[in-house]
Amino acid sequence: MYSNWIMSTSRSPLFWSAIRSVPYWACCLMVILSACGSNDDDQPEAPIDRYVFRVPENFPEPTYTFDNNPVTKGGFELGKMLFYDPNISRDGSVSCNNCHIQATAFADSPVHPLSVGVENRLGIRNAPSLVNMAFFPEFFWDGGVTHLDFVPINAIEAEFEMDETVENVVAKLNATEKYKTKFREVFDIEEITLPYALHALSQFTCMMVSANSRYDRYIRGEGESLSALELEGRSLFQDKCASCHSGDLFTDFSYRNNGLDSTFADTGRNRITSLESDIGKFRVPSLRNVELTSPYMHSARFSTLEEVLDHYASGMVPSATIDEQFVGSESLGIPLDTDEKDAIIAFLYTLTDTEFLQDTLFFRN
Amino acid sequence: MKSLNKLIFASLFCSIFILSACNKDDDDQVVTEPEETGTITLLFDNRLGDQNISIKDFGDTDYQYTDEDGQEYNVSLFAYYISEIILEGPNGEKHLDPLNVSANADEVTGYYHVISTTPGSNVINLKGITAGTYDKIRFTIGVNEAGVQEGAAGGVLDPAEGAWFWNWNAGYIGFGVEGNASNSGQEYIDYGNGFETLEGTFAIHVGGWKDVEPAPGEDPKFVNNIQTIELDFDSSLKIEEDLNPEAHINVNFDEILKGIDFSTTYGVHRPDLGKPFAEKLVNVFELDHVHQ
Repeated sequence: MYSNWIMSTSRSPLFWSAIRSVPYWACCLMVILSACGSNDDDQPEAPIDRYVFRVPENFPEPTYTFDNNPVTKGGFELGKMLFYDPNISRDGSVSCNNCHIQATAFADSPVHPLSVGVENRLGIRNAPSLVNMAFFPEFFWDGGVTHLDFVPINAIEAEFEMDETVENVVAKLNATEKYKTKFREVFDIEEITLPYALHALSQFTCMMVSANSRYDRYIRGEGESLSALELEGRSLFQDKCASCHSGDLFTDFSYRNNGLDSTFADTGRNRITSLESDIGKFRVPSLRNVELTSPYMHSARFSTLEEVLDHYASGMVPSATIDEQFVGSESLGIPLDTDEKDAIIAFLYTLTDTEFLQDTLFFRN
Repeated sequence: MKSLNKLIFASLFCSIFILSACNKDDDDQVVTEPEETGTITLLFDNRLGDQNISIKDFGDTDYQYTDEDGQEYNVSLFAYYISEIILEGPNGEKHLDPLNVSANADEVTGYYHVISTTPGSNVINLKGITAGTYDKIRFTIGVNEAGVQEGAAGGVLDPAEGAWFWNWNAGYIGFGVEGNASNSGQEYIDYGNGFETLEGTFAIHVGGWKDVEPAPGEDPKFVNNIQTIELDFDSSLKIEEDLNPEAHINVNFDEILKGIDFSTTYGVHRPDLGKPFAEKLVNVFELDHVHQ
């Protein structure tokens, strides 16, 4: 099952040697790989199993339950088949990939500000990037889903997304020979059931680890340097943004009202908690690959990062639940002048992980 | 190639280590007489007033029950999860029904879904109970954090196999009852694709499992509607290899609907709205009798 030891890799040896191993299903394998990485610097690049989940050195521990569902090459490939298959949707028109595109870090394309489902039904929110979900405690803009396995159910069943029942999805998979064969091969099952399909999808999405941007290589001391402007931007970011966009995932996973509206058709976090104090709050998004994930905010309000920073500097509107951090003595928001905005944007561009965006591992077969 | 050799060597080393560990375990094993175990059957009798529930179609106005406020209603569909079953005895006997969550339906244990559309689902057979005397049972209504946060699961926890699951606020519906009421405020809704809600119906779904301590000074964030039921047996039960004891438990649906005003409360699909119903569950489950 784990026979694909000798896989070529486009990643730099530095990247791999900087990665911590996760002893989920193959402690021995991991120890060996890391040993190769550290001892054989003068040797040709060690073979890397691309289908092993690894925790980047500058990342926290993952939240995903790999004990139940370790990543394998077959499981990953099966997840990929499902991810790119429009037959999952009711009328065969919408796949996961419709709203989650690799070139935009598995966020939606800018031409779909709000998600578009079957019969071109318009969703209510901007489809967010899927990268690094293995590290997320909760999912969706409102955090209503608390385990990655359950994320696809929401997309399958929402009438403005795939508008399909999970029962039908399972029936369709069982009626497709290529799936029957693959599920048998990977999970040793004759009859395909939903949890195995969800596990396969999680194996695919868990591997969407974006951790090799210029910022990452800089922070890990891998010979990357940032320009004076980018460093100034980083310093400003830490000062003015990092209280919410914290850590190397660039989010504290909290739910906050950032002054987009004064009334809320979409009440956000309140839909999950029913608390008045959560009306108008949405998850602080990760900023990884933010250069490419336009439009911004749950409602796709802004199309450029300049507009986003203009909003924080001078565009906020008050409401009962607005985050206290934005309430200053003179005006709402975060004071930012033009130079500061430019520097912050320059820094945000260092979070673009070109290697991930072009990684053939995730390409549709 | 040097690396590859290293890999092979290290793999062998690991294998030897593991194998020798296995051998050691085998050597240490002492042959003991298997402990005597027995079974118990739990029967959940679903009741409305003093009768068993007679399931009616949605839209059927043949009301089985009239409550204290004169509201007439019947039941079309119900389901509830029983999990974390514990049997206890007067001499320290304690049996925990093993809980396991797995994608493999056959490996899911300890979670039971009593559902009106599945005949026989109200009968739970527990096996492998250490022989002894037992006089008390505890169980949970719903699927708690441990059951949810292991991720996708098969069998009674599989939404494609009839599990009652909220996709938007991920978790299982611990207790649900639907039916028709003479004064229900529910109007007809057509969702398209063959899904509709009929006029005069009601649906009460009790879910919500998150139990997160609020930060100091903050409101509690979540409603945890998981309830534990504890019932004393009317007499002690002996569990032994050749015995087939039974515990009959009444599930009184009129108790969970007591005090409801169907004209205003006919669709409950949120943890906070379900809380008043969850709090009544302790009155819903009642031991009828046990026998050997």
